[in-house]
Amino acid sequence: MPDSSPRPHREPLARLPQALAQVNALVLGKSHTVRLGFACLLAGGHLLLEDIPGVGKTTLAHALAATCGLGFQRVQFTSDLTPTDIIGVGIYEHEQRQFKFHPGPLFTELLLADEINRGTPKVQSALLEAMAEGQVSVEGETRALPSVFTVIATQNPLDLAGTFPLPDSQLDRFLMRLSLGYPDAAAERALLTGSERRALLRETTAVLDAPDLLALRERVRAVSTSPAVLDYLQALLAASRDHADIRAGLSPRAGLALLAAARAWALLGGRTYVMPEDVQAVFIAVAAHRLQPRRNTERAALASVLLAEVSVRA
Amino acid sequence: MKAASPRPDTRSFSLLSLTVAAALALHATHLPLWLSPPLALLLALRWLGFRRGRRFPALLRYALVLALPLGVIATYGTLFGRLPGAALAVGLLVLKLTETETRRDVHIAVAFAAFTLMSALLFGQSLPHTLLVCAALWPALAALLALQPSAGDTRAILKTAALRLAAALPVALIAFVLIPRLATPLWGAPSLQQARTGISASMSPGAIGQLLVDDNPAFRVGFDGPIPPRSARYFRAVVLWHFDGRTWTPGRAAQHLPLEPVQAPGPALRYTISMEATRQTLLPALDMPLQAPTGARFTAERTLLADKPVDHGLRYTLDSATTYRLQARLGARERALALQLPANDDPRTRALAARWRARYGDNAPAIITAALRRFHDDGYRYTLMPPPLGRQQVDDFLFDTRAGFCEHYASAFVFLMRAAGIPARVVAGYQGGYANRVADYLLVRQADAHAWAEVWLRGRGWVRVDPTAAVRPDRISLGAIAAAQGAGARWYQAAWLVGLRDRIDVLNRLWDQTVVGFNALRQRGLLTRFGVDPQRWQSVALALGGALAVVLALGLALALREPVAARDTLGRGFDRLERRLARRGHRRQPGEAPAQFMERIAGNLPAAHASTLRELSTEFVRLRYACTQPVSRLAVRDWTRRAREFEP
Repeated sequence: MPDSSPRPHREPLARLPQALAQVNALVLGKSHTVRLGFACLLAGGHLLLEDIPGVGKTTLAHALAATCGLGFQRVQFTSDLTPTDIIGVGIYEHEQRQFKFHPGPLFTELLLADEINRGTPKVQSALLEAMAEGQVSVEGETRALPSVFTVIATQNPLDLAGTFPLPDSQLDRFLMRLSLGYPDAAAERALLTGSERRALLRETTAVLDAPDLLALRERVRAVSTSPAVLDYLQALLAASRDHADIRAGLSPRAGLALLAAARAWALLGGRTYVMPEDVQAVFIAVAAHRLQPRRNTERAALASVLLAEVSVRA
Repeated sequence: MKAASPRPDTRSFSLLSLTVAAALALHATHLPLWLSPPLALLLALRWLGFRRGRRFPALLRYALVLALPLGVIATYGTLFGRLPGAALAVGLLVLKLTETETRRDVHIAVAFAAFTLMSALLFGQSLPHTLLVCAALWPALAALLALQPSAGDTRAILKTAALRLAAALPVALIAFVLIPRLATPLWGAPSLQQARTGISASMSPGAIGQLLVDDNPAFRVGFDGPIPPRSARYFRAVVLWHFDGRTWTPGRAAQHLPLEPVQAPGPALRYTISMEATRQTLLPALDMPLQAPTGARFTAERTLLADKPVDHGLRYTLDSATTYRLQARLGARERALALQLPANDDPRTRALAARWRARYGDNAPAIITAALRRFHDDGYRYTLMPPPLGRQQVDDFLFDTRAGFCEHYASAFVFLMRAAGIPARVVAGYQGGYANRVADYLLVRQADAHAWAEVWLRGRGWVRVDPTAAVRPDRISLGAIAAAQGAGARWYQAAWLVGLRDRIDVLNRLWDQTVVGFNALRQRGLLTRFGVDPQRWQSVALALGGALAVVLALGLALALREPVAARDTLGRGFDRLERRLARRGHRRQPGEAPAQFMERIAGNLPAAHASTLRELSTEFVRLRYACTQPVSRLAVRDWTRRAREFEP
């Protein structure tokens, strides 16, 4: 090995495996989901974690933030949360005789929006607007959010009492929707016998930092896509639009999201070009929550059907 | 108005110029000499000028437009008819290009060029000629396509134009078969008043300085049975009785003679002659025809005359006797005609005949032998370029120049016979021909035109005597070309070249029989076989409509078919590999990506094959997905070759 010193590699791309390994050590037995989460961050998208409580959604968000060296804020959404609670508020300062803006938790690099569906539509849309624009307007003044600003939102799909489910138009703002699910037996045993997660998180050191993440996003955008891959991607989009079980297919924005995620996935695989396999790997995470089934069909199942039906022309 | 239409691009104009050049070239053979070269020059200058963005001077154009019809009238005396019409059309077409400045002009010029190309078919409908006309339509169509704003590169345009031409073929074929043909054309193509080599109804040996060897086919003969030997292949076309000292003609007096009877005919040969268009009524027939076919009649001397000029080829079947006795008894009128000589001409010839007459008396065969021996022994030679003859033509030839071709010998021989008191006449026609070795038929060219003599002998009737054979026996055994060229053209007889010529001529014959010879009669024969009655317009309209509907439906189905993205070489190579693997039970799932698939199959294969397949997979991924530059053809070909060689 040319460089065996523990000093972090200068090239952020070379540190990605280490970052992945670190998150996997915190969230046990979920390497595929972790990889998808990373892909989402690298593609510059926001992540929606949808699962029952206690499977490690928050841990994953924490682990990602800590490993990527991002400033982290957590907001627990409740029905009495107001937009100013997350955006911030201007308070009159007597000494200076003027209003001074006190930024809310939104002004961070990684925001964990816990149980986002418990917030009112008003506060949901305030957050989603910030996610879409990368900036917020407070009292007539536009304030930019940090350039790596990313939201990881969680919601519980089962306990729906007193919630405001996100409308489809807002689900579209999330690049990926992931579920963690129960860990397998071995992972669960390791979890039961290992140290407490919270303590481990505190000991975690950053492998990357915000500039690294920005540089990696630049690398993702440089991943090349051949006409053959674009053909396949468009075939998937087209199939989603005239499938009998789908009321509304994938939008052009969904197509862009799919492409960005596939690029990130290819980069995580150490390649500078996209293969159909990359598109397939991210397809369910990117497309499932954007499909509107005609009947009472599981969205993820619909996406799997599309993957199985659309042939990959070589 | 014109300013609104934008200037056509140079590519379109170049394609149009190419079409016009082709039209000019196709017409050049029959346009007057003063017209074609200046038109070619004008076209070239205009093309160069357009490329540089120059306009053609309007005044010069007006002057040329005025000069053209004047020149045509000066040449032909009229503006109407086939030749003046063609000259006018080609001239105006080139002049149209000088004012072509807008897209609209190009549209008009292309339509006009197409018309001019079509009119070239009035001058010849042979297979190469027709193919050339069709080929010239290609740049014409491409010129129109190049006008479209969405036109691609030139290769794409040429490809599309070729496809459209090909797509028009079925419709053309249907129209060709089904549009009713008229037994007598509604408007006849005006006949060519042009001198042709070959046979004609008169013969003036001294007037011809050089006989051009015309290699064009005159007719083809298919025999029921073996082709008779060359020495028996005399096809009579016209009998010349009257000699005025220069020219042999049938003679007006001979027109009203009764048909000469054939007695004691030997075994008859049946054969079918396919005539090329000659624009004459003379029909050749093998000596000695027994009956006239429909559409033709016998002259007194048993040559055939068609009822109307052969303008588009003709087929007829005949029976001929190979041994015969023609007109055993000679009437007084015939005898007078067969002894006619111009008064006071050629004294030396007359003296020679008188000497023979004195020596042999009434022994006609002896006199004939003496004449033939003279031709054979006394330094006569056969040439297609005879020296000029003076006023006493027969004397000059027989005693001075002693060089000529069949007409000279036939003419001199008949003169000698008549002077010696033996009834004789000249027969013109074709002799020999060329037996095609690929298909079993005889090809007779214009160059096989020949003249020989018939003498009347008591008890035997008219007997054929060929004095040329006495001079050059190989004229009869090899043909005119070989006799004239001698051994110098040995390459012309090379076996492969002969085989190629044979095959080409078979093609030409097929074309003549199926396309050019597809007349009203044969159309009726074909259509009735399919239950279409060409006499009833409802029936024809139904068939025409039905056939066109089928073609249109097929075309529509093709056009509406799911547009299949064009497959590149690599894609086709992978498809082939996939099919081969599928035949061995390794099927790709619909949603399975190529590399994934190959990896899965490799897992089930023995190690050696697995590694080959993995290599193929890696290289495929590199070529298909990783290359940011256009992939090299060489690498793609290498991959497809390796994929082909892969045997799981």
